[in-house]
Amino acid sequence: MRLAFWLYEGTALHGISRVTNSMKGVHTVYHAPQGDDYITATYTMLERTPQFPGLSISVVRGRDLAQGVSRLPGTLQQVAHHYNPDLTVIAPSCSTALLQEDLHQLAAQSGLPPEKLLVYALNPFRVSENEAADGLLTELVKRYAVAQEKTAQPSVNLLGFTSLGFHLRANLTSIRRMLQTLGVTVNVVAPWGAGIDDLRKLPAAWLNIAPYREIGATAAEYLAETFDMPAIYQTPIGIEPTLAWLRSVIAALNAAGAEKGLPPITMPKLNAFSLDGMSAPSGVPWFARTADMESFSNKRAFIFGDATHTVALVKFLHDELGMKIIGAGTYMHQHADWVRKELDGYLPGDLIVTDKFQDVSKIIDDEMPDLVCGTQMERHSCRKLDVPCMVVCPPTHIENHLLGYYPFFGFDGADVIADRVYLSCKLGLEKHLIDFFGDAGLEYEESPVSAAPQADSQAVSSGANGNASFETAAPVVAVADGGTMIWTDEAETMLKKVPFFVRKKVRKNTETFALGIGAPQVTVEVFRQAKDSLGG
Amino acid sequence: MMQVPGDVQIIKEDNVTHSFCGLACVGWMYQKIKDSFFLILGTHTCAHFLQNALGMMIFAKPRFGIALMEEGDLSKNEPTLEEIISEIKADHHPSVIFLLSSCTPEVMKVDFKGLAHQLSTPDVPVLFVPASGLVYNFTQAEDSVLHALVPFCPEAPAGQKSVVFLGSVNDVTADDLRAEAEELGIPVGGFLPESRFDKMPAIGPDTVLAPIQPYLSRVAVKLERERGARVLHSLFPFGPDGSRVFWEDLAREFGITIDLRDREKAAWEKIRTQTAMLKGKKVFLTADTMMELPLARFLKSAGADVVECSSAYINKKFHARELQALEGVRVVEQPNFHRQLEDVRRLKPDMIVTSLMTANPFVGNGFIVKWSMEFMLVSIHSWSGVFPLANLFVSPLQRRSKLPAFDQEVWLEGVMPSAE
Repeated sequence: MRLAFWLYEGTALHGISRVTNSMKGVHTVYHAPQGDDYITATYTMLERTPQFPGLSISVVRGRDLAQGVSRLPGTLQQVAHHYNPDLTVIAPSCSTALLQEDLHQLAAQSGLPPEKLLVYALNPFRVSENEAADGLLTELVKRYAVAQEKTAQPSVNLLGFTSLGFHLRANLTSIRRMLQTLGVTVNVVAPWGAGIDDLRKLPAAWLNIAPYREIGATAAEYLAETFDMPAIYQTPIGIEPTLAWLRSVIAALNAAGAEKGLPPITMPKLNAFSLDGMSAPSGVPWFARTADMESFSNKRAFIFGDATHTVALVKFLHDELGMKIIGAGTYMHQHADWVRKELDGYLPGDLIVTDKFQDVSKIIDDEMPDLVCGTQMERHSCRKLDVPCMVVCPPTHIENHLLGYYPFFGFDGADVIADRVYLSCKLGLEKHLIDFFGDAGLEYEESPVSAAPQADSQAVSSGANGNASFETAAPVVAVADGGTMIWTDEAETMLKKVPFFVRKKVRKNTETFALGIGAPQVTVEVFRQAKDSLGG
Repeated sequence: MMQVPGDVQIIKEDNVTHSFCGLACVGWMYQKIKDSFFLILGTHTCAHFLQNALGMMIFAKPRFGIALMEEGDLSKNEPTLEEIISEIKADHHPSVIFLLSSCTPEVMKVDFKGLAHQLSTPDVPVLFVPASGLVYNFTQAEDSVLHALVPFCPEAPAGQKSVVFLGSVNDVTADDLRAEAEELGIPVGGFLPESRFDKMPAIGPDTVLAPIQPYLSRVAVKLERERGARVLHSLFPFGPDGSRVFWEDLAREFGITIDLRDREKAAWEKIRTQTAMLKGKKVFLTADTMMELPLARFLKSAGADVVECSSAYINKKFHARELQALEGVRVVEQPNFHRQLEDVRRLKPDMIVTSLMTANPFVGNGFIVKWSMEFMLVSIHSWSGVFPLANLFVSPLQRRSKLPAFDQEVWLEGVMPSAE
């Protein structure tokens, strides 16, 4: 038992519903107590679905338990009557799993044809969001995919694109554009927008593309084993990885095409991938070489997230922008080995593997990186520390469901990520001016250290449910960490001469130094000693 | 069908609704009682609910948390919370810790009362609050929190006649209600709950309990039984009609006769533009926060045509006056959402008051909606709440009239992943 405030990964039920909410003609029935369908709000409010997600609850009430009554058969009948889905997935909740109810038997009691029901009775105490989503997708692929003729022209399946995925729509668009440029048809996207018939025809494609480590890769492996379909698991994030991904796609399709005696696909001139068809497909390679980006080589970056994005972002920042990686971590325990292998040689120390946001926050506080790439939680941790942070992966948040085209995949995605790095970090010439003059006129009034900082109201009001958040009703008061050591007025004045954006860091380092030498307060002398000892 | 005075018939269905469980009350209760900590004994699901559906991001140190039950904890006889309680006390120094139950430990038959008792110290009591979705919907667990606070309300001696307002409201609303009562000559004993644990109001045989939220029937009955307090049975103080009746009835309890008809008239006059817009509009309330009965009654008084008023829980005694005022309106307890969806398509209401889960899809189906939860986050009580209350209802109507025509064939294409 531990005290938890916030979790990176959602529940199994969340993973299941992400898959089914993506799909046509598929309904989920949660066998769960009142309130477990809060999940519905994540679709209707984050994705702003204009239709009712196919999610119904078979309510379990205390009274039903006492009387040994289950409403599941009745709910299944209601769902069949009102929505007539091709398939209803039946999912347990924590409490009904604990009751060890036989969901198969209860489902059978509904009298509905068994081929229209799928009991997905995983253990919600053991399985989390991503594993449940990946598992259900695989289960569905196993159930429906049938051997068949390949399409006449080169085609691919895109696997793992799932409701509430990180920048999902834009990533899908980016991939579709690249495939279109190659002249390759998309056979099926799954689960996003797929119906049961689409799953049936998966084996008609020449190649499976599963760019997300968390969801879709297992289904691609199954299709490889069972139908001998080649698969590409690379993630096209960054320029070089995108080029490598394109070459892999072309090679795999040409291998299949050669057997059919079809002419090979060739890599087009790269401007074909640009938005206007007549320019460089991305600004990143030139951007990274410009003189004003030279300061990037000293930037210290820390990355924390899911498996796919942690690997991709470490490589992008290191390989393509020339930044220094001071550490990285993931909350995806089950993919930690893969992340380690992928990042071999990139990290100065061990990969951090934790699902406790406090651990990550502590590392950021200790290291004070120049840039953090993380989740929404790291963004909050960084706000408190005044450390630049950009959000690069789930758990998803209303701010990850913007209307504009912001892919992370492909050439377009590289531009988006580089722009975000640029906007997040403090930069070249401006930085020199600030360093030289202290503040360059950019300083804002600082609130007294003793006052508890107000949590930023913008973040408060944009919780998962937008402006309906309860948090808007009252101010949230954060407790100032540290700041307990007394500074003399002279030392405080001296601190003011330090550029404002590193002032917090200097204050903290000086206090740590003072504690270390047993100084009761920070005087000008202690401050100077600290400066010397810490290298200015 | 259940008969209540005034012949209002309540249709009871099977509660297949889209709404939250009792844990939702943490969202406002921890902010209301400022020296409290809310500890939920629950699972990953409870944590995910709080952080997602309620949009709660964690800043520094929130005064609520989950004692997370993981697989290994399921085989243990009793959860051991000592360490977690110590951690909470060290970090937050609360005056009281509310221990909320959830579905999984309820199924495990955890002895919450015993557990809370064991963990309590004279300095920091740990109070059990039943809140699980097996029994409680949305706002109902506030009733449980207040229930747990009763032993910490001092006994008011006989002869000390004053009003105690029942229900959590923000400080501005509380000040407003207090000032209004005092102006009418009604002595105010306080609020249950007050903003601090050590300031809970004294309640005794001459206390008049004035419920200001419509989901607190259990604590009202408990105080009536245990302290001999009188519970005011009136309308809830929402809208010009509700405010007049509420204050007149409350004053009468104190032997004060007042006539607030002019004030009510003036209040209606103040929202004339809004009521003109609501007049004749068909409004459908789907059931969510349990504020539905008084909201529907205000709408009816304002001239709207309430085509259905559904609520998760209706207490025919506690809600008697509201039910009387709703005569002629279709009232449903524990509705079935699938049936409501069919009725909505048939009745084509001009506005639907509904939950966060269902609002946008109703809009996608061409309807105008209002989030039911917004009525809990805006000060809509008494006279000063009349204007905000009326505005909440008309703002979606006004907004829709300002937007350009919408061709859903064009603008909704590809928005719904599962759309054909």
